[in-house]
Amino acid sequence: MPKIKKKRVGFVLDMTPLVDIGFLLLTFFMFTAKFKSEAEAEQKFVIERPTASADTSKVPENNLATIKIGVDTVYQDTSYYYSLSNENVRLTVWDQQENLTDEMRQKRLLKVPLETLDGLIRNTRAASVKTRFAIDADRSIEYKWIEDLMDVMQRNNATAFNFVTEKKQ
Amino acid sequence: MAGGTGGLGGGGGGKEKRGSLAPKRKKKKRVGFYLDMTPLVDIAFLLLTFFMFTTTMAQPQVMEMSIPPERQEQVDVKQSELLNIRVRHDSQIFYNIGLDAPQALDISELRNLAVNENLRQKNRLITALKISTKVPYGFVVRILDELNLAELDINSQLLIDGLERERKFALVPMTEEDITEIEGL
Repeated sequence: MPKIKKKRVGFVLDMTPLVDIGFLLLTFFMFTAKFKSEAEAEQKFVIERPTASADTSKVPENNLATIKIGVDTVYQDTSYYYSLSNENVRLTVWDQQENLTDEMRQKRLLKVPLETLDGLIRNTRAASVKTRFAIDADRSIEYKWIEDLMDVMQRNNATAFNFVTEKKQ
Repeated sequence: MAGGTGGLGGGGGGKEKRGSLAPKRKKKKRVGFYLDMTPLVDIAFLLLTFFMFTTTMAQPQVMEMSIPPERQEQVDVKQSELLNIRVRHDSQIFYNIGLDAPQALDISELRNLAVNENLRQKNRLITALKISTKVPYGFVVRILDELNLAELDINSQLLIDGLERERKFALVPMTEEDITEIEGL
């Protein structure tokens, strides 16, 4: 008699604590999530950053010009890559820069030789003086790449910049 | 007490029609409102996994660097106030002051050297860092990091002496002479 009344629909588990924790984590990740920029989405190489002691200064988020140096892999050679975080500045600079193909102008991360980089940095400086520069290079790269780049930056008066590093464990 | 019983009695009287339901409820032992949360939990966990996979936790940090603007004029430097740090292609560090012979140095000793030499010369010492083009960039950053760390100690020590720290530091390209001088060491 009591069996019939119970009308058992299945196994019931109290999921409340699970849901509590689930939502707690969900809100946490939602607030901390930072999405990849479009330039980063185009990046096809991985940069192993050099390690430095803990520093509180973080990469600036706005008005940032990033010069990346991707180490050579089976698929590509070592090269400079240039991207700008500010979309307006990017459009101006991309337009002003000569010897870019239309296909290249569509991209947000440009693979460029040093000579083109020179023009890009100059145009960036002209378009917006607020733009800060960051050098994001692989730790295994030869110093020559950095030295050449710093020469170019010095020539264009971009004398203050940042090296992107990783916290030493 | 009397009022309570009266109330109960009245209630019982009013519920006479639903009298058939009353015993059932008592039997059911209601624990609370129950809602099927399965779809909610499904979506929540879907979102949770999405955010967990897309988020990048370790924000990269930066090391600030500044180089002097391009200038043609030559600055004369006293040799005795010049600390040369040269890094050979195989990442071996050599240092010398002025015209002394270069001495090999391990990276772990670099910080102490920078601190001691700077304190000895107070604010006058100029550090010139010459790095071979073949040294990996990661090692260059380590050297710069050590020198930056040394700066902390120098700063606090000089402050005790009542001096304001003026950092004189330059990244100098390596010349042929530098290369030959430290090659066989």
